[in-house]
Amino acid sequence: MASSMNSGKAGVINAPDDAGSMDQLAHAVVDDLLYNIVHDLLVKVHRDEKIARAATAAIRVEKLASDASDSSTPDARPDVKVETDAAIYDEGKVLLKGNPLITTKDIVCPRCHLPRLLYPTDGKGARKPDPSIIYCKKRPYIDKPGYDIYGQTWVAQGPGRGKKKKDMEKKVDPNTPADSPTPASEGANTGGGGAASRPPNMLSFPSATCSKCKRCILVTRLNNHMGSCIGNSGRNASRAAAQKISNGNANGNGDGTPPNSQKGTPLPGSRAASPKKRDGDEMDEDEATDNDAHKKKKLKPMVASVNVNKKLIVKPKVGAGTKKEKAQKNDDDDGPTVEVAPKKKITKVSSPAKKLKLGGVKPLMSSPLAKSNGKVTVTSGNTGDDAASESSGTLSSPPAA
Amino acid sequence: MAARPTTPASPKNVKVNSPVPGTPLFGCEHVQLLLSNSQDVTNSSIQYYKMLLRVIFDKDPLISQTSKASDGQITTSLTSNYLCLQCSAILPEEERVKHGNKKSHRFYVDSRNGSLFCQFCEDFVWDPTLEDLRIRKMGTGSFSNRKRKHEEMFSDAVKDSIKEEQRYINANTTAASCRADGLRGIYNAGATCYQNVVLQSFLHNPLLRNFYLSDGHQSSDCHVPHCLSCAMDDMFQDFYALENTNGYTAANILSGFWISEKKAFENLVTTKEQDAHEFFQFLAEELHERNGDGKRPETGSEHSCNCIIHQTFYGKLQNQTTCQNCGGVTNAVESFLDLSLGLENLARRKSKKEPKTELSLTLQDCLDEEYIKSDKCEYRCRNCNSSQQARRDHSIKLLPNVLSVQLKRFEFKQGGRDRAASKIRTKVQFPLQLNMLPYTTRGQSESASQELNRSCIYDLLSVVEHVGEIDTGHYMSYCRVGDQWFSFNDHRVELANKSAVLGSQAYLLFYIIRSLA
Repeated sequence: MASSMNSGKAGVINAPDDAGSMDQLAHAVVDDLLYNIVHDLLVKVHRDEKIARAATAAIRVEKLASDASDSSTPDARPDVKVETDAAIYDEGKVLLKGNPLITTKDIVCPRCHLPRLLYPTDGKGARKPDPSIIYCKKRPYIDKPGYDIYGQTWVAQGPGRGKKKKDMEKKVDPNTPADSPTPASEGANTGGGGAASRPPNMLSFPSATCSKCKRCILVTRLNNHMGSCIGNSGRNASRAAAQKISNGNANGNGDGTPPNSQKGTPLPGSRAASPKKRDGDEMDEDEATDNDAHKKKKLKPMVASVNVNKKLIVKPKVGAGTKKEKAQKNDDDDGPTVEVAPKKKITKVSSPAKKLKLGGVKPLMSSPLAKSNGKVTVTSGNTGDDAASESSGTLSSPPAA
Repeated sequence: MAARPTTPASPKNVKVNSPVPGTPLFGCEHVQLLLSNSQDVTNSSIQYYKMLLRVIFDKDPLISQTSKASDGQITTSLTSNYLCLQCSAILPEEERVKHGNKKSHRFYVDSRNGSLFCQFCEDFVWDPTLEDLRIRKMGTGSFSNRKRKHEEMFSDAVKDSIKEEQRYINANTTAASCRADGLRGIYNAGATCYQNVVLQSFLHNPLLRNFYLSDGHQSSDCHVPHCLSCAMDDMFQDFYALENTNGYTAANILSGFWISEKKAFENLVTTKEQDAHEFFQFLAEELHERNGDGKRPETGSEHSCNCIIHQTFYGKLQNQTTCQNCGGVTNAVESFLDLSLGLENLARRKSKKEPKTELSLTLQDCLDEEYIKSDKCEYRCRNCNSSQQARRDHSIKLLPNVLSVQLKRFEFKQGGRDRAASKIRTKVQFPLQLNMLPYTTRGQSESASQELNRSCIYDLLSVVEHVGEIDTGHYMSYCRVGDQWFSFNDHRVELANKSAVLGSQAYLLFYIIRSLA
């Protein structure tokens, strides 16, 4: 080992000429270790690349063979002999010709048989892909600050969306280093609210359906929503409890108002959503429904409280046995006499449809409401029936309380 | 070598099975000549290659690293030697060509990794048959493979039906897109990053992934309302079957979490920030109940079940108590989901010892403290029938397939005010590769064989990091997919390099056993 050389195999780490023998040995050892590390890395890359290219050669020649044989059974092994520059196909066997690293220049995906894109399209080491080639969908990951591995970026969560200030700081802090490269564009978005000015790979936060109340909630508020919807946290819980008590005590009397006010209270998130600061299209839709409901509810209590009381006097007579149930149903339907009926039907439809339908139905419903009381009584009668007929089916999951 | 009966069927079988669509039959033309010449040559070549692999991986590396040059000088080198596949020569790289020309021996095996070098190609060749042997030797230490034996038991008729089945599968299923590789972020639904990091580490756990993707728990067959395991199943499907690259909304997990009524985790279910480790425990218990025997895994008892969670995460600890008076020994065995390692005492002691240097611990330090050093305790001895001083030794009796380690980064300071929890920011260095042998009961008693040593090696799989203060902050995680590391920050997935992973202030570490992977 410690022969005449004063370095190892790599020859990178050289001992000075006047170094002692121990010194030389140490240099040689470090140099050899460095050589081994590079050797191992190279062997690994070499292995991956050569196997992939050999497979490419095999896939190509198999394709040729199956084309040549054009038999009706595509997966049977054709008994033909086909040859390419890189491989020979001979009765179901593929034999290599030469070194695949030399004969084969690109790599095809072993699953979809499309060529692999070998360079990322953006960020570090990016190259323009050939637009005429359809590549395999597995692409090299993008390494670009501020963007994820697919080259996507997100609309930053700005202030003014019903988030507490504390929440904001907390959430944004860890993100800021990553977000910082694109503050200008994001700022423009949040300010102008223009979805058009956003680059195509910038995504906004989606909405998800709450599994209990089936409402569409912006994902960033989902936890808070579930806390109040499913869990027993938030102020709604105490109101729900109060409602239960009042229902248990007196059927007709106390229930008109408290649920109304409760319904009128918007979701924790949607409260502070000021329209001009919105940015996402999905979010726009989402909040629009929220806001509509909100506005309507604000209108209704005045109108509905009158009607509801009227109706409630009528109701108990209809079905004495299920009186409590129905009353409760109506309570839940409360002011929304108008609004909830469509909603109920829709809950049976899948959730995306629901969103659309709600949007469509609302203008219809809200206009008569605003016009006159007479019409409302008609609709409220209908909904009452609706609710009654459906009460058994949907009772297990009453609208959010 | 002679001890192993020559089974002409075995190498032949390798060849017959080999024509896999999409891969060539041999590594290069020259290997093809060698292996398709005659059955005798094929057999002896493969047997000899196996023997060389055994020399390389099982014996002292001194043997394969020592070569004899043509002038008779014997050298042991750190760099690779080449073992001739056609004779017993071991050659340094410089001598290889000379030997090849003299003896017309053209194939050599790298003494450090067992790769085959073809002198005609002047390149390493990766022959499917030989490479298969090498990988298996490196991974498990043996060439045999239970699956293969299983396959051999089938007659040809059964094989045909398997082929038929394959055709049936091809005709009736759609393969997942090449894009669906399980790399997606998970949206933060409002202070749920503590859930996201745990979910990501589950998603990139090969054992759990295979369980769910092989329909281990089919959400369509399950009738438990708001079942968390179903939610997991859906999530695995979305990650590994869809082309979506945007974040995932873990709504079902979240609602399952809200609906779940677990007394022990009641205070976890809030809209506030929570401890990722507690969520990990919660999820593990919940999934155990959905998939396992339904019994509650009581900590402290030797409860074992065959559910996926137990198979993946649970190991067994042995506590040995030795009475200092009579020398009586009592053993208690308990199963564990994770190893919790305290940093507090160790950090304090070390900072006293070396007050100037910046404090840094290693994971091995913490493990040593917990599972090698013994501690003293009061103990009521049955023999002596009185309370005695006793020595306690902890060791790991059964290692899990996935070892989860929690570094307890919190302490209670006896400050001026009340006892306030604070975070320990001590840097803990953790390795990419961890040998658990010294901490096992067997490793402490016996002298370990190479085989046993190999079976205790773990590779780092994912890291959960907490940044910020004790009561508020953010969780991020790193997961390894193949050899590439990715960082997951809620919905944002980025490439990560090893130094970033190893430099992180880890809170939870997941190691996976190597011999399995």
